[in-house]
Amino acid sequence: MTYSNNLIDDALVVVPTNGHKLRGRLQLRDDQKPVIGAGVFLVLMMVGFTIGSPKVFLDFGIYTAVFLSLPLFIIMAVGLVFVTVSGETDLSFPSTIALSGLAFTVVYEQFRSSFGFFAGFVMAIIVGTICGLLNGALVTRLGLSSLITTLGMNFALIGLTQVLNEGKLRVLPEFDSSWIRRLIVGSWGPIPVQMFWAFGLALLLGLIFNRHRFGIHVHIVGDNPDAGRAMGVDVSRTKTLAFVIVGVCAALTSVMAILLNSTYFSTMGEGYLLPVLAAVFVGGTPVGGGRGTIAGAVIGATTVVFIQTGVVAVGLDGYWTSLGFGVVIVLSLVGHRWSAKN
Amino acid sequence: MIELVNVSKSFGRVYALEGVNLKLVPGEIVSLVGDNGAGKSTLTKIIAGNERPDSGGRVLVDGAEIRGWNAAKARDIGIETVHQSRALSERQSIYANVFMGRERTNALGFVKRKAEIAETEALMRKIGYTSKVWTPLSRVDNLSGGERQGVAISRAILFNSRLVVLDEPTTAMALSEAGEVLEFIRDLKRQGKSVVFISHNPWDAHAVADRFVILDRGKIVFDGPKGETTAEQFIGLLHRYAKGQVQ
Repeated sequence: MTYSNNLIDDALVVVPTNGHKLRGRLQLRDDQKPVIGAGVFLVLMMVGFTIGSPKVFLDFGIYTAVFLSLPLFIIMAVGLVFVTVSGETDLSFPSTIALSGLAFTVVYEQFRSSFGFFAGFVMAIIVGTICGLLNGALVTRLGLSSLITTLGMNFALIGLTQVLNEGKLRVLPEFDSSWIRRLIVGSWGPIPVQMFWAFGLALLLGLIFNRHRFGIHVHIVGDNPDAGRAMGVDVSRTKTLAFVIVGVCAALTSVMAILLNSTYFSTMGEGYLLPVLAAVFVGGTPVGGGRGTIAGAVIGATTVVFIQTGVVAVGLDGYWTSLGFGVVIVLSLVGHRWSAKN
Repeated sequence: MIELVNVSKSFGRVYALEGVNLKLVPGEIVSLVGDNGAGKSTLTKIIAGNERPDSGGRVLVDGAEIRGWNAAKARDIGIETVHQSRALSERQSIYANVFMGRERTNALGFVKRKAEIAETEALMRKIGYTSKVWTPLSRVDNLSGGERQGVAISRAILFNSRLVVLDEPTTAMALSEAGEVLEFIRDLKRQGKSVVFISHNPWDAHAVADRFVILDRGKIVFDGPKGETTAEQFIGLLHRYAKGQVQ
C-alpha cells in the first residue's frame, strides 16, 4: 500500500496509542493519561497540604479518619463512571442512597438480627436496581434528557423518602457490637476495612469496564450509539444497565454509611452529589461519553475527600472547601485537556 | 450465489424499487450507480436484510429461496454491509471496532482480548496496514479517512463474508483516501468475495468494477460487464440515462 510510508512521517505529529516505545520516548496510551494526570495532581496536592500542615499530614491518624468515609465516595464514583461513559448523567443517586437506605433500615427493624441485615441488604439492592431501571427506561425508552430526568428523579425520590420516613432519625445501636459491622466497616490495624471493600469493588467494576463485553459496549454507546446500533449493540439495554450500576452502588453506599454511623436519616445522601461528580471529572472521565477510567475515579474521589480535610487542616475556614473544589475541578479539566492535546 | 428475483419495494404509493432482478456471483465487483432517488439505498437495505421486499419478490441464496429475509439471516449466510457512516466508534481502538457487537468472549462474557488483538493484527497486515505506527490498540480517530474505511471493511473480511455491500464508502474523501478504499475493495475481490459497490462517483465506480448496474427511478436500466468500456464511455452512458436519451 502506498499510504503506509506517509504514516511514518505522521508519527511525528500523531501520538500512537499502542503504548510502545517510539523513537526513544515512552508513549502513554490515551486512557492512561488522565489517570497519571490525576495521580500527579493528587500527589502535588498532598505535598502542598503536608507543607502547609506537617503535624497533621505526617501523622497516620488523619489518613485513618479520611479512610472511614473515603470508600463511600469511591463506590459511588466508580458506579457513576459507567453512566457518564455511556454518554448520560445521573443526578438522582443522592436520593437513591436515601431511599435504599430507608428500605434497608425498615426491613432490618423488623428482625434486628443477622437475618434482618441480609434481608435489608437485599431490599436495598432491589430498591437501587429499581431506581436505576426507572431512570434507564425514562432516558432510553422515552428519549428524555438524562440530566433533566435524573434531576427530577432526585427531587421525586427524596420527597418519597421523606414522606415514607416521616422525618424520623432511626438509631440502630445494636450494630455497634455486631460482627457484621466489624466485617464491613471494622478496622484492620489502622486501616478501616471498608477501604478494602471499596478497592475490591473498584477492581471488579474496572475489570467489567475494561474487559467485559458490557463494559466495551458502554464505551461504544457513549462514543457513537448509531455505530453501535448498526453493529448489533443494544444501546438501550447497555445504557439502562449503566443506570442500574449507579443504583446498586448507591444502595451499597447507603448500607455502608448506615453501618458506619449506626443511624439512618433521610437526608443522608445530600452530601454526595457535588463531591462524587467532581471525583468523576477530576479522575479524567469527561462528560462527552465514550471515554473514562475507573482508576481515575478512585484517585479523583481521594483528591476530593482530602480537599475537605486538607482545607481545614491547614488552618483555613471550612467555607474554603467549596472554593477548593472549584479550583481543583477547573485545574484538573485544564490539565486533562492539555495532556490530551500533547 | 445471491439472486434477487422480481424485487419491488414501495413506501405508501411510492415505488422505491420495481421488478428488480439482480444476480451476484463470487469474486465479482458490481458497481451500482444511479442518481439520487434511484433506489440504491433501498436495494442495499434489501440485500443486507434491513428491508424486506414486497410480496412477489424473492431472495435466492445458492438457488434456494430464503423465506422471512432479515438482517440476521443475511449475516448468517455471509452478507456484510459497510455503512455510509462507516459505523465506527472513533474514540475506541481499532480492535474494539473490528469486533464491535461480535466480541470474542469466554463463558462469563469477558473479552478474549489477546485473541482479538492477534486477529486484528493479522487482518491489518492482510489488508495492507504495513506501517508499524498503527497497532490494534491505536485509536481510530488517529487514522486517515481511508484507513478508517479500511477498518470498517476489515470487519467484513474477518467474519468470513461471501458478499460485501459498500454503501458510498468514498463519499467526502480526498483523492488519496478514496484510492486507499478502492484498493481495499480490490483486496476483497482477490479473496474471492463478491462486492456490491455503491457510489455517486462514476470514476470510482468505473475504477473497480467488473460489472455495472445502473438504477433509474427504481428500475435496473443497465446491467452489463465492464469489458473494454472506458471511464469516459461509462460516464457518457450515465449522462444519457440521466437525460432520458436511452430507453
